[in-house]
Amino acid sequence: MKLPLKWLKEYVPFNTTPKDFAERMLLRGFEVAEIIPEMDGIDGVVVCEITAIEPHPNADKLRVCTVDIGAEAPITIVTNATNVSVGDQVPVALDNATLTGGLVIHPTKMRGVASAGMFCGNEELGITNVEYPGCENGGVMVFSEKHPNGQRIQEALDLDDCIFDIELTPNRPDCQSIIGLCREAAAALGERFNEPIPGYVEGEGDCHDIAQVTVENPHLCPRYTARVVTDLKIEPSPLWMQRKLRAMGLRPINNIVDITNLVLVEYGHPMHAFDLACVADSHIVVRNAAQNEVVYTLDGKERVMSDDMLLIADPTKGIGVAGVMGGLNSEITENTKATLFESAVFRPENIRSTARKLHHVTDSAARFIKGVEPVNAELALNRAIELVEELKAGKVMGGRIDVCSADLSEKRVSASVSHINSILNTQISAVDMAELLKSINISTEVDGDTLRITVPHFRTDIEDGIETDWDIAEEVGRLYGYTNIAPTLMRGDTFRGHIGEAFRDEDNVKDTLTALGCLELYNYNFISPKELTDLMLAEDDERQKAVKLLNPFGEDQSLMRTELAGGLLRTAALNLNRKTGFGRFFEVGNVHFDNDNLPEERKMLGIIHFGAEEDFFTLKGTIEELFEKLGIENARFEKGGSPYLHPTQKAVISVNGEKLGEMGSVHPKVLRAFDISVPAYMAELDFAALRSHITRVRKYKPLPKHPAVQRDLALIVDENTEAQQVIDIIASAKARVLIENVRVFDVYRPKLPGDKGIPMGKKSMAFTFSLRSDDHTLTDEEIGQAVNAILKSLKFRIGAELRA
Amino acid sequence: MFEELKEIRDAALRELEDIKSADELSELSTSVLGRGGKLTAILRTMGKLSAEERAEMGKRANAVKQELTERFEERKAALHELAERMKIEREAIDVTLPGKRRALPMGALNPLTLVYRQIRDALVGLGFTTFGGPEIEYDEYNFTLLNLPPNHPARDMQDTFYVNDKVLLRTHTSPCEARALKTLPLPFRLVIPGRCFRVDEPDASHSPIFMQMEGLVVDRNVSLADLKGTIDAFVKAVFGENIESRLRPSYFPFTEPSAEVDISCTICGGKGCSSCKGTGWMEIMGCGITNPHEIENCGKSPDEWRAFAWGVGVDRVACLKYGISDIRLIYEGDGRFISQFK
Repeated sequence: MKLPLKWLKEYVPFNTTPKDFAERMLLRGFEVAEIIPEMDGIDGVVVCEITAIEPHPNADKLRVCTVDIGAEAPITIVTNATNVSVGDQVPVALDNATLTGGLVIHPTKMRGVASAGMFCGNEELGITNVEYPGCENGGVMVFSEKHPNGQRIQEALDLDDCIFDIELTPNRPDCQSIIGLCREAAAALGERFNEPIPGYVEGEGDCHDIAQVTVENPHLCPRYTARVVTDLKIEPSPLWMQRKLRAMGLRPINNIVDITNLVLVEYGHPMHAFDLACVADSHIVVRNAAQNEVVYTLDGKERVMSDDMLLIADPTKGIGVAGVMGGLNSEITENTKATLFESAVFRPENIRSTARKLHHVTDSAARFIKGVEPVNAELALNRAIELVEELKAGKVMGGRIDVCSADLSEKRVSASVSHINSILNTQISAVDMAELLKSINISTEVDGDTLRITVPHFRTDIEDGIETDWDIAEEVGRLYGYTNIAPTLMRGDTFRGHIGEAFRDEDNVKDTLTALGCLELYNYNFISPKELTDLMLAEDDERQKAVKLLNPFGEDQSLMRTELAGGLLRTAALNLNRKTGFGRFFEVGNVHFDNDNLPEERKMLGIIHFGAEEDFFTLKGTIEELFEKLGIENARFEKGGSPYLHPTQKAVISVNGEKLGEMGSVHPKVLRAFDISVPAYMAELDFAALRSHITRVRKYKPLPKHPAVQRDLALIVDENTEAQQVIDIIASAKARVLIENVRVFDVYRPKLPGDKGIPMGKKSMAFTFSLRSDDHTLTDEEIGQAVNAILKSLKFRIGAELRA
Repeated sequence: MFEELKEIRDAALRELEDIKSADELSELSTSVLGRGGKLTAILRTMGKLSAEERAEMGKRANAVKQELTERFEERKAALHELAERMKIEREAIDVTLPGKRRALPMGALNPLTLVYRQIRDALVGLGFTTFGGPEIEYDEYNFTLLNLPPNHPARDMQDTFYVNDKVLLRTHTSPCEARALKTLPLPFRLVIPGRCFRVDEPDASHSPIFMQMEGLVVDRNVSLADLKGTIDAFVKAVFGENIESRLRPSYFPFTEPSAEVDISCTICGGKGCSSCKGTGWMEIMGCGITNPHEIENCGKSPDEWRAFAWGVGVDRVACLKYGISDIRLIYEGDGRFISQFK
């Protein structure tokens, strides 16, 4: 909401700087977003007097002027203006001056003659005949009265004030008005607010005789009040009114429309003026629209209504969309002879839904949505009629139509002083509280610990109910000043604060992966349906059950992700594209699956490695190290996994038969779909499953008392034998000793048949393990027996031979 | 003979003067004190002497032996010290050569995680406990229970992604307040981090997905002053002891009184600069005393329990703290960005 300083000064003595005023308002809950000079964007323009004019030596259309800018030496301005003569005072833009549209002026040579600046016309100064009658002359603006040479244009035009652009919070609809803002401003300035109270103009005759109003749906229209003006003289409104409207960014139209607009600004209450001749039977009917009923609004657009929308109609047709916009068929024109001024209250929810459905939130609608109140409706109407009289715009008829089901009685509430002090942790006396409230026109009587408050009609936000004490605490607190309340730390019970286990586990996982060289991602949850196709997921895959947004940014961001894979692959593509040199990333984030109630939320861990130094096993190494850190034991990697992984390079990761997730090389087709030119390796793990296998308390295992011996075995096995198979056989061989730490340390596939004595269809694998006993040092004989038992078992189970 | 003994001693001490190495010293020591050395040799000839002379000679020879032994040891220690000093000199390195790294570069946490942990850890020290709730929420929890019934105009303050007319992407972490009030025993102090969603076209200062951290304290007598003190504590923990915070009046449907929190400008320290639009202050979040309707809606008595709460944008704090000029960088995944936050 804009508040011009000039307007504020009409009601409140202004005793400080605009900047200080803005700060005071801010600390009372009204943020001044911007202090806009009245001549916004104009700088470096002064009044000058033309003392001589010479023809330009090289150009017929230019003239060389000597001008006095109040400085010691005159300056030279070259102009193409034809409407200036010696002795004229005109505005001149000097070096570095700025004009409308951001135009910056510098001295320049025009056809060989230096010009120190430029004479200005009204457009360059952003003004019209409203601000300075006669300035719209098509040429250079010429002052019609005397000014000191060198005077700033702002001073010369009396446009040296500013306009405060104030942000309003939704609880203060009363401040969508000059009057409301001035009330708060006066309190902020510590001054009295000379609130203008519009008088009631009696008028002649009785409008009830010629016009009537029927409200069919009083729930959606609690008050509809109206007056009639006849013998209209439609003409431009006076300059003072036009200036005010222009300062607020409104375009003056004619006296009647301007009156409704001025009242909208002053009182924050939207009004409408109908051409009474266009209202059949002069009978206004406020009713729900018929389904698909059509109204043409003032902007010339066809509006198709639905039956939940409120229509202003006459007995035969619609003449306006209630609270949103008047109808074209009853618009005020230069031929209008009689008008009915409407000042009504409509239900905010209904106007909100209507404006949304019609995709048209007008100034009026915005105010109805924020909330208007019935007493103000009457004040606004009185003000409009007062202006009609003042402007002599027509003959006011006596009587006021008022269809009102709203409660107009004064609201009284009471609040507890001690409770308010307890909420704020202050010791403000009851009398001081009453004084603070009085500064914003809330009259209060003190009755012991109780404040008895008469709520002014405009403070619809102050409720009578459980929240009254809080409502009043808010007012008292903000007027007392939050900055005057000393901060404390909480007293009372002490608490054992802690970080929950799930949060600590997440920290641990993230810290470990970071130590393993990974960078942490927060990818967006929104994905495109195409992503699920690009990941080659089957129709019946669980991950096709994505949650769909009703109002996404677009189709390509319409689903909530069901996997982290897509985001990881896009990260890879971005980093490869930009050649960042980074190839290890991870994310801990949620995925969602649609169902009948709240979607199922699942936290996942995604890891991706890509680039020349990475392969399946570097990723597996990362996972193994993570598991070690978390104390996840007995993890198994077995062939299998999602379709977006490489069919022969993917593994399902499980512990004790429970699946934790999967990992693998990314399928070449998927790499292509995501524009990734190098191999990439990716894992996705279910965070809850992962957490369930974390070792919470590690128990010390006694150190072996007797030494272990290390043995290696190089075996010839079938080409398709998996290391895990062999390890399981070795570890479980029936020997009388302990077999521990079985690892594979070499795999050799013959490059040619019979290479190094390895037959076709076979490969060589080398394993190492340790043998030990808890109660004695093993003898050579025991070791030999154990190795033989292992070899026997290997031969029997998978036909493995010891390599020669 | 006594003279011979003196001569042996003097000669040994003279030779000792010229000794340059441990080897030479050991040679000298052997030639004088060794089994076949000069001292032994002279003692072997003592048989010719009288008993008295013999006793005297033995005494003197022992004195010489002891003296020489001590002097040789001294010299040995000095030579050792010298050798070590020379070795240390030879081992001199250029300390300005680059350090050796593991083959794997260090990873990094996202700045969101760093800031989240700083706020969380400061609050845990004040007795807060972590809590969480779902990202896709019921409208009832996100709005209605929080004193934002359907068609409340303040719903327009938070443009919402809907899944259907009852389910939406939570626009703030506040629905967790309702979940906590309904389910946990009172009193409590909670810190609630999580992703939130709003229909904001992404630009340098907006992201449709962002991370918020809710603080919620429910107790019998908490006040606006406690809220100020608690917020100041974590502001200082995150931004430093020299950063001030202030509360100024505002409006949120879920709190009353409501306030915006400003911190003194992290760029200019409060003097006024372009980052703080010359005011010296930067807005970081909203807070307030929980609206009694919310407490009542969640089945607790506002006469018995009072609460305060805030919701801080972790992204916004990260941008301010680290001087990140574009919030989208946090979510974009460029390794050159994330790797700066080790």
